[in-house]
Amino acid sequence: MKLSRRAMIKNGMLVVSAGMVMPAIFSRGVASAMAQSLDGSHIAQTATDRTLIVVQMAGGNDGLNTVVPYTDPLYIKLRPTLGISQSKVLTLDTRLGLHPNLSPLKKLWDDGHLAIVEGVGYPNQSLSHFQAMDIWQTLDLTGNGSEGWLGKLVSGLVDQQGHPFKSLDIGVQTAQALQSISAQVPTVASVKSYSVAPDPADSDGGNARLQALLNLYNAYPKTAPYAALLDTTALSAQDGSRQLRQADATYHPAATYPNGPFAAGLKILAEAIVQDLGLRVGYVTLGGFDTHANEQATHDNLMTTLANGLSAFYNDLAAHSKADNVVVMTWSEFGRRVEENGSQGTDHGTAAPMFVLGNPINKGIFGEPSSLSDLDPNGNLKYTVDFRSVYATVLDRWMGASSKDVLGADYGSQNFLPQ
Amino acid sequence: MESLNYNQPTEPQEPEYQAPYQQPAVGTPTTPLHASTMPSSPGAPNGARVPSRRRFMSKTAAGIAALAGLGAAAAVGGAALEQWIQGGGLSNIFHDPLASEAQIGHLLRRAGFGATPDELTMYRNLGFSGAVDRLLNYQQVSDDAMESRLNALNLDLNLPVDQQRWWLLRMAWTQRPLVEKMTLFWHGVLTSAFTKVGGKTAYMRMIIQNNFLRAHAFDTFDNIMLGITSDPAMLFYLDLTKSHKTAPNENYAREMMELFTIGLGNYSQRDVSEGAAALTGWHIRGLTSYYNLNDHNNLTKVYLGHTGNLDYKDVINILVNNPATPWFIARKLFTYFVYENPSSDDLKPLVDAYTQSGHNMGAVMRALLLSPQFSSAQAYRSRVKSPVEFTVGAYRALGIQGNGTGLPQITTLMGQTLFNPPNVAGWPGDKVSSLWLNSGTWMTRLNYIDLLLLLGAAARGDSASPIDLQAIVDSNKIASPDQFVDYFSSFLYDGVLDSSRRSQLINYFTASGAGRSATQVTLTNGQSYPINHARGTLYLMMTAPEYHLN
Repeated sequence: MKLSRRAMIKNGMLVVSAGMVMPAIFSRGVASAMAQSLDGSHIAQTATDRTLIVVQMAGGNDGLNTVVPYTDPLYIKLRPTLGISQSKVLTLDTRLGLHPNLSPLKKLWDDGHLAIVEGVGYPNQSLSHFQAMDIWQTLDLTGNGSEGWLGKLVSGLVDQQGHPFKSLDIGVQTAQALQSISAQVPTVASVKSYSVAPDPADSDGGNARLQALLNLYNAYPKTAPYAALLDTTALSAQDGSRQLRQADATYHPAATYPNGPFAAGLKILAEAIVQDLGLRVGYVTLGGFDTHANEQATHDNLMTTLANGLSAFYNDLAAHSKADNVVVMTWSEFGRRVEENGSQGTDHGTAAPMFVLGNPINKGIFGEPSSLSDLDPNGNLKYTVDFRSVYATVLDRWMGASSKDVLGADYGSQNFLPQ
Repeated sequence: MESLNYNQPTEPQEPEYQAPYQQPAVGTPTTPLHASTMPSSPGAPNGARVPSRRRFMSKTAAGIAALAGLGAAAAVGGAALEQWIQGGGLSNIFHDPLASEAQIGHLLRRAGFGATPDELTMYRNLGFSGAVDRLLNYQQVSDDAMESRLNALNLDLNLPVDQQRWWLLRMAWTQRPLVEKMTLFWHGVLTSAFTKVGGKTAYMRMIIQNNFLRAHAFDTFDNIMLGITSDPAMLFYLDLTKSHKTAPNENYAREMMELFTIGLGNYSQRDVSEGAAALTGWHIRGLTSYYNLNDHNNLTKVYLGHTGNLDYKDVINILVNNPATPWFIARKLFTYFVYENPSSDDLKPLVDAYTQSGHNMGAVMRALLLSPQFSSAQAYRSRVKSPVEFTVGAYRALGIQGNGTGLPQITTLMGQTLFNPPNVAGWPGDKVSSLWLNSGTWMTRLNYIDLLLLLGAAARGDSASPIDLQAIVDSNKIASPDQFVDYFSSFLYDGVLDSSRRSQLINYFTASGAGRSATQVTLTNGQSYPINHARGTLYLMMTAPEYHLN
C-alpha cells in the first residue's frame, strides 16, 4: 500500500500537509472532478470570485401572501381571512406589496438590491411536495432525477487543488440540488461539530489513529457498495474541517444575526465568503411553509425569519466589502391555492414568485403575473415563467457557466441580472 | 433544545393548542382496535436448530479455547467464511449464500439494532428460522427488565428530548428488537412530528402514536390505517382535525394516498378533494380523538372509482384493497429491510403474503425475513446505517449502561431526530441510505464513537471514565492483540474481516504511533499495552467503512 501523505491533528484540528501525495482512495473523487475541469468540456465556466446563495423555502411558500397583489379584487375575495390588506402591505408599486414582516427586504428593494420574478412554475404540476422538490432540484419533470442542477454545476467547478469549499450546504443532509456523481458537497450543521475529536490520551493529538483510519479506508475494496461514497465523504470532511475551523477563528461578523438555525447557517456561508474559502455555491433551507391550517401566525413568523436572516447576511457581506460578489436566490416547491380553505390555511398550489437579491441584480419585477381570474381546474395559478429560465439567468449571467451544459437545453433568460 | 429544522415543510411552530380535556391516556392506543393478531408461528420452540458452526464469541471455556487456538480465518467463524477468506477475502463476501454466522448477525442488524456476543450466541442456537420466529413472536419474550430500567430513569415524556431518550434506550435495551425496528419503520412512513402536534401541552401525543405503532406493528394494514387516521398526533400533524364537513382540508387526504398507500400517479386531484370530504368527522379532545358524525360530510363522493356517501372507513377500505397498495408497502419494506431498488420479482412474494393473509403485516414480514433475498449477498452490508442504527447499534453492542443523555443531540447531528422527521415523507435516508452520509454526519459518527469509548461510563452518572476494556479482556480471557481484534470483529463485523485489514488493526494495537498512555491494559497472557492503543483499535473498528454499513 502506498501512503506517502501524512495527516496530522494540531489543536484538535485535522491538518493535511500540502504537497503530500494523497492516498489513492481519497484522491479518486478529486481526480475525477479534476479530469472534468481540466478537459473543460463538462461545464464551460470562467473563473471568478462570484458566489450564488440558494435559499430553499421548504413546504410550499404562499406566494400570494409574500408578494401580495393587494389591489386585485379577486385576491381580497378569495382570501377573506388570510388576505393582507392594502393598509398593511409594504408597497412596491400600484399592484404589488410585500408581506408586512418583510421590511428588511423592502429596504433592499428601496436600495435597488431586490428583484422579484413572478409566476414561476413548470407544466403539469402534480401538487405533490416531493415530486415538486425533485423537479426543482434535478430538473427531471418526471420527478425521477438523481443529480442536482447545482451538483452538476459544482462538480464542474472543483479546481485542481480539489478545493473543498467550492460549495457548502448548511444542515445535516445534503440537498438534492447539490447531489452529484463526482463531487461530495461539504455539509455543515455547525462549525463546532465540523471536526474530528482526538482521544486525549493520544500524545500525538490523534495523528496516528487518524492515519490508521485513513489506511483502512484506503484499503477498503473499491468494488464494495458505497466505497466511493465513503472515500469522498472522508476526503471532503478532512480537507474542509481544517479550513473551516481556521476561518472561524478569525471571523468577526459585522452584523447581528437573529437566533435560530436559518440565520446561523447564513452566518457560516458569510464566513466562508468573507474568509475567502473559495465558495461559489452556498445552500441553506428554511422549512415550515406547508400552511394548511392557521396559516397566518406561522407564515408571519417565517417571513420574519427569512427577511431578518437575509438582511443580516447582506449587511455582514456589505460591511466586509463582499456584497458585490454575492447573489441570493430563493425558491419553494410550489405556491399555494388561491382560495383559502376552511381551516384558515391554504392547500397546495402552483406558481409563485422568487426573490433574487444582492448588489449585482437589477431591481424590479420580472416575469408575468399569473391571472387570478384565469385559474386551472384545481383553482391554482397558471405559471407564466419556467423556473429553468431563472436558473439559466443565474448560471449564464452570474456564474459564468453555460446554462445549456447544466440544464441540458436553452430556456431563455430573465433580465434581473445584466447581460 | 434548538431543533435543526432545515427541511421541515410542516409548520415548525404553531399557536399553542389548548387541550380542553386532558386525559392520562399515556401509553394506551387511542383507538378501540383490538390487539394485533400475529400469524401463527410454525417454528416449534423445541425444534431449534443447533448451529453447525462453532460459537466463537462464547464466554465459555470451549469458546475461548476455540478463539485462542485458532488464527484469523477460524476467528471469523465457520468453514464458509474460511473459504471466503482463502478465496480472496472481502472481495468475495458478496457471494451467496451467507454463512450462517453472518446470516444471524445480518438478521439482528436489519431486524434489530445489532447484538452483543451473548445475544448472537442465543439467536444462533435457535437457527435462522427459529431466530425469525423469536423476533416475530415478540409477545413471548419478556421485556420487563427494559421497562423497569426505563422507569428508573424517571423521564418526562412530555419533553421531546426525553421522548427521544426513552425510545433510543428502548431500542438499545429491548429483547424484542424487531418490534422496535418495525415501529421505527412505521414512524418513518406514517409519520408525525412533535413540532406540529398541538404545542407543548400536546407533545404526549407523539408517545401515544408511538405506542400505537408498536402495539399494531404487525397488525393488518386495515387496522394500522384506521388507527393512524384517528391518531391524535396525526390528526393534528396533517390537519384532519381542522377539516370540517363544509370545508374539507386536503392535507391528510392527499398524503395518505401519496405517501401511505398507493403512491403518486394512482389518484387525481379530484380523488384528493373528494377523499377529504369523505374523511371529515375526526377531531381531537386532549390526548384522545373522537368521531363527530355531525361534522361528517354526507354528500355523495366519487373516490377512486367508488361512489356513495363515503366515510373514513370506506376510504381506508378502498385504499387497503387497491391493487397498488401491496406493491407500495412491499417496496417500502423491502427497501428498508433488504436492499434498495428491488425488482418486481423481489416484491411479488410480499405482495402475495399481503393478499393471502388478509393484509397482515406480520405475514408480510415473515415472507420478507425468510426470503432468499433477505439472506443474499446482495443484501449484506448493502445499506448505510441510519443515525439511529449507528448510535443505538454501538450502544447496544458494547453493552453501555448509560442513561442516554447525549443521544438525542448526537442522532440529530447525524441527521435524524426521532419524533421530528424532516417532513411527511419521513427520512430520505430510509429510502436511499447513501443520503445519510456526508462530511458533517461522518465526523459526527466518528466523534460519537470517540465519546462512547472515552465517556461510556460517564453517562451512567459515574465520574467520567473510559469504557472498561480491562473488564472485557478479563471476562473474555483475551490473551493477545489478535484475539482482541477477533473478539470485537466477531460481533461488530460478523467476523467478516479480511486478513490484511485485520493486520492493520493488530498493528495499531501493538505499534507505538499514538504515544503511550500511562494507563495499561493487561491481556491474559500477562502482556501489557497502553490503554489508548486498545481503545484506538476499537475506535478504528467502529469508524471504518464496514461499520457504517448495515
